[in-house]
Amino acid sequence: MKYMLMMNTMTASGATYAGVAGWTQEDVAAHIAFMKNLTESLAESGELVDTNGLGLPDQARIVRAGQDGAPITDGIFPETKELLAGYWIVDVESPERAYQIAARASASPGPGGMTLNMPIEVRQVMSGPPEQL
Amino acid sequence: MKYMLLMQGTKADFEWYAKWSKEDLMANMNFMRTLSKELKDAGQFVETRGLAWPSEAKLVRAGKDGAPITDGVFPESKEFLAGYWIVEVASAEEAYKIAARLSAAPGGGKDRGTMPIEVRPVTSGMPEEKL
Repeated sequence: MKYMLMMNTMTASGATYAGVAGWTQEDVAAHIAFMKNLTESLAESGELVDTNGLGLPDQARIVRAGQDGAPITDGIFPETKELLAGYWIVDVESPERAYQIAARASASPGPGGMTLNMPIEVRQVMSGPPEQL
Repeated sequence: MKYMLLMQGTKADFEWYAKWSKEDLMANMNFMRTLSKELKDAGQFVETRGLAWPSEAKLVRAGKDGAPITDGVFPESKEFLAGYWIVEVASAEEAYKIAARLSAAPGGGKDRGTMPIEVRPVTSGMPEEKL
């Protein structure tokens, strides 16, 4: 079963990233090393399907089609809107295993090496259209 | 450059979608399949995935001992990812054009207007100056 592990840690107000701006270079390096290590261990165990990070809130746009089908873009979000910062997709035997991996990601280090205790949203990835169709 | 096109909705949006007629759902899925095929033909397709319903979503944190603490309660206003595309295009504008096409996918309601698509560059996710 495939699961998507999402870090919805950014808000449109950029609050989280204002926080990261205050991290030392060492804190950032330790955080990235932790994430790389987690990704590598998932690759080694054969559980990693995909992982990506996404751009900062100032580059996010909401797009709708106008009357003529041309894109109408908007970069204004409610302050509280959660934005996806990054994700992993893992292929695992059970949801419990996905939760274990999510807990590891949750415990990634932040400023001064403290545990971030990030919330990680875990959702199953469907292989095809929903069954009720 | 890679861009992620995200379709998101609240639980209320998902419940609305669940009430679509079979014909509306088929029309919508056919539209999505055709779009994926055209993106593939144009060499712009990287991947697309759909996610399980929000009722299955869990929020996980590490407990003191590192064991997962799971929670399935979310605020009503929470937007859940329904599915996404990743496309490889030359510019943000091209990604916006594809997003506009997705936005105009046929729906089950005539009064809801077009669907908002969030467009995000796929990058390292960390501020550049910190790397």
